[in-house]
Amino acid sequence: MAKSATLAVKDGKIRSSINALLADLLSKQVVEAVLVPLAHPAGNNVVQSLVTNPDYLEQADVFAPVMPVNAGRIIQAMTRLTPANKKTAVVMRPCELRALVELVKLRQAQLDNLYLIGIDCPGAYSVSDYPKYAAEKTSDDFVKAAWNGKDDPMLRAGCQVCEYPVPLMTDLTIGSVGQDLKKQLLLLASTEKGEELLEGLGLTAEEDSQAAAQRHTAVDQLLNKIKETREKFFEQTREEIGGADKLATVFGPCIKCQNCRVACPVCYCRECFFVSPTFELEAEKYLGAAEKRGAMRMPTDTLLFHLTRMTHMAASCIGCGACEEACPNAIPLLKIFQLTGTNVQKLFDYIPGRSLEDELPPTAFKEDELEWIGEK
Amino acid sequence: MVDKVGAVLVIGAGVGGLRAALDLAESGFKAYLVDSNPGIGGTVPQLDKWFPDNGCELCKLLPVFSRDGCSQFCLRRDMAHPNIELLPNSQIQEVTGEAGNFEVTINSVSRWVKTERCTGCRLCAEVCPVEVPDEYNDGLQLRKAIYVRSPQAIPNFYCIDRETCTKCGKCIEVCPTNAIDLNLPDESQKVAVGAIIVSSGFQEFDAAEMGQYGFNRYANVLNNLQVERLLASGGRTTGELLRPSDEKVPKKVGFLQCVGSRDTERNYCSTACCMYTLKEAILIKEKYPDTEVIIFYMDMRAFGKGYHRYYQQAQELGVKFVHSRVSVIRENPKTKNLLLLTRAEDGTDIRSEYDLVVLAAAQCPSARATELNQALGVDVNQWGFIQSQDWWQTRTSKEGIYVCGSAAAPADIADSVIQAGAAACEAATLLASARDQLVEAEAESVASAASDEDTKVAVIICQCGEEITAAVNTAQVAEFAQTLPDVTSVEEVRFLCLPETLEEVKKSITKSGANRVIFAACAPYHYHRLLGNTMREAGIDPSLWQLVNIREQLAWVHKDDQAQATEKAKKILAATVDRIRGQEPLRITPMTVEQKALVIGAGVSGMVAALSLAEQGFETYLVEKSAETGGHAGEAYYNLGNEDPQAFINDLRKKVKNSSQIHLYPETGVVEVNGRSGNFSSILKAADDTTTEIIHGAIIVATGAEDYVPTEYQYGQNDKIITQKELQQLLVKNGLGKPTTVVMIQCVGSRDEGHPYCNRTCCSDAIVNALNIKEQSPETEVYVLNRDIITYAFREEYYSKARETGVLFIRFNQEDPPEVNATDKAITIRVNDPVLPGKLEIDADLLVLSTGIVTGDNRALAETLSIELNEDGFFREVDTKFRPVDTAIDGIFICGRANAPRNLDEEIAQAQAAAQRAVNILSRKELQSGRIVSEVNARRCSYCGICVTTCPFNARWLDEDEHVAVVDEALCQACGACVAACPNSAAKLRGYRDKQILSVIEAVL
Repeated sequence: MAKSATLAVKDGKIRSSINALLADLLSKQVVEAVLVPLAHPAGNNVVQSLVTNPDYLEQADVFAPVMPVNAGRIIQAMTRLTPANKKTAVVMRPCELRALVELVKLRQAQLDNLYLIGIDCPGAYSVSDYPKYAAEKTSDDFVKAAWNGKDDPMLRAGCQVCEYPVPLMTDLTIGSVGQDLKKQLLLLASTEKGEELLEGLGLTAEEDSQAAAQRHTAVDQLLNKIKETREKFFEQTREEIGGADKLATVFGPCIKCQNCRVACPVCYCRECFFVSPTFELEAEKYLGAAEKRGAMRMPTDTLLFHLTRMTHMAASCIGCGACEEACPNAIPLLKIFQLTGTNVQKLFDYIPGRSLEDELPPTAFKEDELEWIGEK
Repeated sequence: MVDKVGAVLVIGAGVGGLRAALDLAESGFKAYLVDSNPGIGGTVPQLDKWFPDNGCELCKLLPVFSRDGCSQFCLRRDMAHPNIELLPNSQIQEVTGEAGNFEVTINSVSRWVKTERCTGCRLCAEVCPVEVPDEYNDGLQLRKAIYVRSPQAIPNFYCIDRETCTKCGKCIEVCPTNAIDLNLPDESQKVAVGAIIVSSGFQEFDAAEMGQYGFNRYANVLNNLQVERLLASGGRTTGELLRPSDEKVPKKVGFLQCVGSRDTERNYCSTACCMYTLKEAILIKEKYPDTEVIIFYMDMRAFGKGYHRYYQQAQELGVKFVHSRVSVIRENPKTKNLLLLTRAEDGTDIRSEYDLVVLAAAQCPSARATELNQALGVDVNQWGFIQSQDWWQTRTSKEGIYVCGSAAAPADIADSVIQAGAAACEAATLLASARDQLVEAEAESVASAASDEDTKVAVIICQCGEEITAAVNTAQVAEFAQTLPDVTSVEEVRFLCLPETLEEVKKSITKSGANRVIFAACAPYHYHRLLGNTMREAGIDPSLWQLVNIREQLAWVHKDDQAQATEKAKKILAATVDRIRGQEPLRITPMTVEQKALVIGAGVSGMVAALSLAEQGFETYLVEKSAETGGHAGEAYYNLGNEDPQAFINDLRKKVKNSSQIHLYPETGVVEVNGRSGNFSSILKAADDTTTEIIHGAIIVATGAEDYVPTEYQYGQNDKIITQKELQQLLVKNGLGKPTTVVMIQCVGSRDEGHPYCNRTCCSDAIVNALNIKEQSPETEVYVLNRDIITYAFREEYYSKARETGVLFIRFNQEDPPEVNATDKAITIRVNDPVLPGKLEIDADLLVLSTGIVTGDNRALAETLSIELNEDGFFREVDTKFRPVDTAIDGIFICGRANAPRNLDEEIAQAQAAAQRAVNILSRKELQSGRIVSEVNARRCSYCGICVTTCPFNARWLDEDEHVAVVDEALCQACGACVAACPNSAAKLRGYRDKQILSVIEAVL
C-alpha cells in the first residue's frame, strides 16, 4: 500500500488549501515550475498555465468544473522533442493523465523531471456552460456536491459516464473521495517521486492510513455505481447508432472541419493523412467521380475520415469527450468512440493510460489472440 | 588435380532436390535439375496440408532473389532461378569421370508438344478420346492421354503420355498454335558437372502385395495418398471425404500403420507415416467431428519438432489409438463395410466394422532407383536405399556424389530439406574453387529515364485465339483503352506468348516510344519471365510494365456473360492504367557484404558449421562459452552403429585448430550484435572481461542444449539410479560386472507435461546401452519400460536385434507410470504389464533413466540477436519444414540442439545446411534490396515507433537525432506491416502509393 499524508482544509476552504500546497512546492524549491489551471481574470474559464512565481498560484483552481483543453496535449507540446529540463509538477485530471500515458507510449511526450499530481475528478461542464455556473458558485461547492452522490445532468456527456474518475497512474494523488472535505484531503504517494514531493513539503507520510482506507472503500463504491451507469449508456448508444444506416445518419451533420481530431489528446499524427497531398485532388478526379456516380457529396470522405480516426484511436481512446465538446454540430462522438473503444480495448485486454508497461495493442504480438476470427 | 566444374546435377525435383538446387544456384553454381516427371515438386504437390500445423507454406522455400514477385510464386507450380536449368521428362543414362568433373548423359523424353507454342488452352485435352487413371489423384479419377499433371501446374504446357496415346491426331487438328508434333524427337545430351546430388525420393509400397488387407480389391480400402487427394480441395471430391463405394461420408475410419514396413521383409521404419496419418486423422476429425477415427499402431513415432504436440492435438480431438497390428480385413459384400480382425494388447480378439480403412504404406526405393544407382556407381543397402557414410548423412560411397531425403532412408519433408541443404553444402565445398564459373551475371537493371518524360502507356491485349475473345469483346476493350489518360497506343494480338509475337511487340513498343506497358493476357507465372526478357530488350524499366490476367481470372470464369466480362475487363484495365501512371521507376539499393561468419557454440554442430564455412573459403569466428570444444558429444563413447564419437570429435577439433580461416574464441560470449544480414558488428566478451569487436556477414547459432536432471524415480538419492549417459560411462570405463537385472525407464523429462516434445535420441541410447550390457553380460536381464519405442528408419533393426538378444520391452501408459521403491539394499520397480494381469514387480540392481534434453537459458542470446524462442525455449526456425535453419532475421541461422533435440548425424547435417544458407549470403560481394521496399515520409513521421515494434524483420529503427523512423532496405521484406500500422501514412511501400491504391479503387468501383 502506498504512503499517504493528509492536507488540512483550512477554514473549510478546499481551493485555497490546495493552492497553498502548490505554492509551497515552489517556495520550498521542491519543484521549479507547476502546470495547473488558473482562473481566467474574466471569471468565465480556467486556463492551464505554467507557473514559476508562487504568487500566481492564488488563482489556481484545480476543481473548477471546466476542461477547455486536455492537458495531455500541453505536456506533449512541451516535451515531444526534449524532456523537461527543470523539475515540474503537473496537476491533472485522471483523463488527462491517461492521455499523457498513451502519448508517452507513442513517444509524443516524456516524463523525465515531471511530477504527476492527479486529482479525484468530479467532472466538468462544457466551456460554454461554465460561466453560468461560475457566476453563482465556487469549485468548493462543486466538489462537495459531486461527492455527495447527486447526479448532475449539466456535466459533459463524457464526465457523466467516466469510467475512471480517479487517477490510474500518478506520482501523487490529491484524494477527495471518501474524505471529510470540511477537514482534510488525502495526499497519496504512489511512486518514489510522489514520496519525494511529500518529503520536500515536510509532510510525514504513513503507510496504510485510515484516511487512505476510507478513500479506497469510497472509490470502490463509486466505480461500482459508474459501472451500472455505463452499461445503461452503452445499451442506449447501441440502439441509437447501431448499424450502418444509423451510423451514416449520426455523421450526417459532419462538415469535416476536423475539430474533433485537433481536440483529441491522443490523435497524435504530426500531419493528418486527411490534410495531406493524398487528398488534394485535381478537378478532373472530382468531376470524374461525380460523373460515375451522378452526384458526389462535398466535402468528400467525411465518413472515411471518422472511421479512419476510429481505427487509429479505438485502442487508446480514454473517453475524455474532448472530441464531442469540439464538434460544432453536436455529433455524439463521445458515445460512438466510447462504445467502440471499450469493446476494442476489451478485445485486446487493454486499458489505455493504466500503465507504461501495458503494450499498445498494435505493437503487441500474441500468437493466440483473436482465434475466433474466420470461424463460421 | 582435376579441373573442377562449377555445376551440379540434382537428380529428382522433389522438395529436397528443389532446396539443394536453390541453395547451389544462390551460392554461385549452376544446377541442372532433372526429373523423370513432366513437372517439378515430386510428391509434395499432391499433399494439400502439412503437419504439424496443417498449413501450406511451400513458398517459404523460395529464394529471396525474386522477392518482389514472390507473392505470385508457388512451388507447387513453378520455380524460376536463372542459375537452375530444369530438365523434365529426363533420366540419367550414364555417368563418367570423377569428383569435380563428371560427364553425365541425360535422356529427355519428348512431350510431343512444343513448349514455346503451347498456350495451355486445354482444347487438345477436350477432344482426346483416351482416358486413363490420373496419377496426380492417385488413380481416383481419370485424365486424358494429353494432359497437364495437376490443374495448377505452371508452366501449364501439355504433355502426351506415349504409353496410352493412340495417335488419332484429333489434338493436332484443334491446336490453334500448331504446338503438337507426334514426331518431335527425344533428346540426349551430355552435361559436365562437378558434383551430383541424388534426391530421387521414394515410391510408395504397393499395399496390394499384402493380400490380407484387400487393397485394390475392396473399394473402401485406400492408401494415405488417396485420402490426401480426397481431403484436398483440388481433388476429385473437392475436399469431401467420400468413400468410393457409395460416395458417403464414412462414420468410422480405421488407419492401419506400418503396412509394408517393420516386418520381416522390410525391417525398417518408414519414418513419416505416423505423422501423416495423424494429420489425416486430425483433418477428418476437424471436418467431420462425428466420424470415429481409430489408429492401429505399433509405436506412435511423433519425434520431430512440434510433432508430439500434434499427437496430443489428435488425442484431444478424440482420435483413438489402439496398440495392435491388424491381421486381416474382410469386406461385407453388401454394405462394402470392412471387418477388421485383430488382437488387443491383453490378448483378446477384436472384431470391429469400419466404413473406410486407410493403409499407411511404406516408403520404398523408387522403381528406377536400382538402375540409377548402378549408373551412378554408389553402394546401396540391403533394401536398395543408397548407403550413406558414418556421421555424414549425405555422403555416398562415391566421392562427389551426395544424397538427400528418402533416396538414402525414409524421411519426412523437414529432414529431407535439412539433408538437401547439407548435400548442397558438400557439393559447394568440393567445388568452392569453381564458384561463379558458370553462372550468369545478374541482369542489368534498365537505366530508367521515365521520370522526367511524359507518361506514355502502351496497352497490349491478347486474344489467346478464341480463349479470351469467347468471353471478352477485346475490340471493345481496345477501343475503351484508347480513351484512358496517357494511353498512347493500343494493340490486339492473337497469341502474345509465341516467339514471333513477342518480337513484334518489342518492335512496336520501341517504335511507339511508350515508357510504360500493360499486357492484358493470361496467368503470369510462366509468361512473366518471357515478358520480362522482352521488356528488358525493349528498354522498359522492370517496375513500369504490368500484366493483367484476363484469361483464367476473367474470361474463363465469366464464360456465360460476355457483356459483364467485357465490362470487368475494362474496369481492371482502367485500374491498371491508373496504377502504372502513378508508378515511378523503382531502384535497387546494393549493400556490401562482409564475407565472414560468426558461429556461436563450438560443439559438434558449431565446429561442423565453422569447418564448412572455412573450407568454402570464408573466415569464421567460432565462439565457445566453455573452455573445451565438443559440447555434449564430448561425453559420448559409442553410438547406434559402429562409429567412434571420440575419434570423430578429436578429428573435428584438430581440423578446427589447424584451419587458418577459423578463429576460435574459447570461454567467450556474444554480448552485443548490431547491423543486418551481410554486415553485422558484434562484441565478444571473454572470461576476463576483455571485449573484441568483429565485423561479419552472417551468424550461426549452435549453442546446444542441456541434459535434463531428473527429479523423478528417486534419482540422486541412490547411486544405483543413474542416467543413460552415466551408464555409458560406466560401461566404457569400468564395466558393469554381472548384474542380474537392469531396468531402464524411457521418457524421463520428455513427452510429459513440462516437456511436451520427444527427445528423439533416448530410445536409441537405451537400445545401444542394452545391447552393450547384453554383450558384456548375456545373462543379465534387461527391461526397457517404454511408452513408444522411437527407432525410426534403419534404427529399427537395432530394436529387433535387442529383442532377439532377450531385452524385454514393456509398454506403460503416461497416466500409469512405473513405481520405483529404492532402499540401500534393493530397487523394486512395479509396472503395469499390458499382457499379464496385475502389476509386474521387478527387482533391479541398476535403474537407468532415459532423460530428456532441455534448453539452457537462451533468452539473453535470443534478445541480443532479436530472434525468437519457441514455447520450450529452443530457438525458433521460420518454418519447420521449408526453412528449418533460418530464423526470422535474415542472415541469422540455427542448427543442432539449440533448435531441437537431434541425433549426432542429424545435427551434423543441420550444421552443414545452416552453413550453406550463410554461404548464400557470404558468397556475394553485394546484397541487393528488393525494388519494393518500405520507406518513410519524414515530414509526416511522428516518431511513435509503432512501425519499429511491428516490423517482424527488424528492418526499421528510430533515428534519435532526426526524430524519424528509418528503413534498412536490405532487411525490409515488403510485407507492409508498417504501412498498416502507421496511422498517417508516413510508412509507405514503394510501388503501392496511397494515391495509386485510391485511384485503382476508384477505377474499379
